[in-house]
Amino acid sequence: MTLALLVTLLTLTVLKATPIIFAALGGTISERSGVVNIGLEGMMAAGAFGAVYATSATGNPVVGVIAGILAGAFFGFVLGVAATRLKVDQIVAGTGINLLCIGGAAYALVVLFHQQGSSPQVASLGTADVWLIVLAFALAIALHAFLWLTPWGLRLRAIGENPRAVLAAGIDPLRVRMLAVTISGALAGLGGAFLSVGELNIYSDGMTAGRGFIALAAVIFGRWTPLGATLAALCFGFFEALQFILQGRVAWLPSDAMQALPYVAAVIALAGATGRVRAPESDGVPF
Amino acid sequence: MLRARTFAATAMLSFLMAACGHHVGPRPGQLSLGMVTDVGGLGDRSFNDSAYRGLLRARDQLGAYVEVLQSRSAADYQPNIEALTNQRVDMTFAIGFLMSTDLDQIARNHPDRHYAIIDAVVDDPNVVSVTFREQDGSFLAGALAAMMSTTKHIAFLGGEDVPLLRKFEAGYTAGAHEVDPSVTVDVKYVGSFDDVAAGQELGNVLYNGGADIIFAAAGTAGLGAINAAKSRSGAYVIGVDSDQDALAPGKILTSMVKHVDVAVFDVARGMQQHRPIAGHLTLGLSDDAIGLTNFTFTRTAIGAARLRRLSAIRRAIIAGKIVPPDTREALAAWKPVAL
Repeated sequence: MTLALLVTLLTLTVLKATPIIFAALGGTISERSGVVNIGLEGMMAAGAFGAVYATSATGNPVVGVIAGILAGAFFGFVLGVAATRLKVDQIVAGTGINLLCIGGAAYALVVLFHQQGSSPQVASLGTADVWLIVLAFALAIALHAFLWLTPWGLRLRAIGENPRAVLAAGIDPLRVRMLAVTISGALAGLGGAFLSVGELNIYSDGMTAGRGFIALAAVIFGRWTPLGATLAALCFGFFEALQFILQGRVAWLPSDAMQALPYVAAVIALAGATGRVRAPESDGVPF
Repeated sequence: MLRARTFAATAMLSFLMAACGHHVGPRPGQLSLGMVTDVGGLGDRSFNDSAYRGLLRARDQLGAYVEVLQSRSAADYQPNIEALTNQRVDMTFAIGFLMSTDLDQIARNHPDRHYAIIDAVVDDPNVVSVTFREQDGSFLAGALAAMMSTTKHIAFLGGEDVPLLRKFEAGYTAGAHEVDPSVTVDVKYVGSFDDVAAGQELGNVLYNGGADIIFAAAGTAGLGAINAAKSRSGAYVIGVDSDQDALAPGKILTSMVKHVDVAVFDVARGMQQHRPIAGHLTLGLSDDAIGLTNFTFTRTAIGAARLRRLSAIRRAIIAGKIVPPDTREALAAWKPVAL
């Protein structure tokens, strides 16, 4: 493998991993507080669309990124209300949010941009998207430090294990869960914004293409830790980048088999990790 | 997520109905046409949009009532086709080969209804099948790319690795080798028609790998490859299905246009004149259903000599002197033809 190919492989790995890292960090913080966020995919779509809309309105992709974060946070908040105050089944509520966001964005394209399927092209961060990549890794470290080195991190983790005990200590678990899920949505929204105005300059239907669900797998594969989830996202990004490069170079392997590579790797990794992974005790259990 | 597209369309329709209080539905005696898009959906600036243009032309010129149902996933095809069947539209158009199994089943269950399918052959007496000789147009695209490449290295980026896309791939590769057998043609597939980011990433991989022209036959994902070309000097991309040339003026060498609109309109007109075209219709260069655009933004860059050579190749295909391959097997056995 030549040096140029190696550089392509590594840059592509990081590029593919970044939106997944953002969403997976969101998934980790949410699940650590005891709420399974299956709506990551929809929140990414909301972030991607919000970013494009705000960018087209202001001409400034930085404003777009902020709008993407807010759009994701809003739907995180909605899931938070459903999961804590209304005690709705979290999987059902999260699936509802996926439907709402992806369908809603398709509808909003027609209402706001008067065209279907994809938005017009908007300004993009261009090469400045590298700062979002840096931010993804910085956030991973910061979140890891927060969860394991600060009292509030301990409280958040305790709520995911045994909310009753934390309530006895005088902290409202529901309030913390609400906050964690909202932040989770903000991070997923940031991941979506990275896709739409960071890497690209457009929103198109289905552009998140399952990245939110890959992030969900990365949370588990990363054993509910920010650094683990980041590593898992990088691993997925690596295999995706590898298949991009290998496609057409290995004559006997059809491209379909090549495209399955990242998913096969994920399944093997997850299977190899079973027995050693343990979800937070109260993950997914309404309080 | 599954029905998101349909849901959005329904939500929009009910909103519109509520907003203007219009009567929705065909008038008695009015020709009514239904259309089910494939997962690329309306707004792909490509295949589905082209079919939709044909439908709109039928609305405007034939006074037809038209209704479109979009499919968000393969699971939507069957319910969408069923829904239009139950509304008793005169003819339902299934846009895309992915719908052939579902359409076959529904057409058998409703022998009194009429259907049309684009890009696949469904062998039922009440189904009109329309396929295109994409390999012919792709051959021209490949020939042009080979003439224009300064690195003698071009690429093909497909959406999904399926027989239909291999017609594009085989024709394109053969066209390049017709002009210059030493040209390298890299082939990659996105694995999806709507992952724009992956389309852009693969576009960059192909350009970084030495190709200077990419034929992006990947639906919406192809917009990503067009994006990748924009930021590079000396790089071109070739669009597909609809005329995409204006999306990046000067960077899109041409588009391999597939006039799905012509096919949809012709079939609709046949329906209106109460003589539904039956069986299998194959459209190609000579029907003006397949071809390259008229190089609005790239005519000077290409130059008159290359354009002359291109039209000589086009004539040779129409005359049957060149038979572009439509599978990888046919491509392996194919030899350049001396003109």
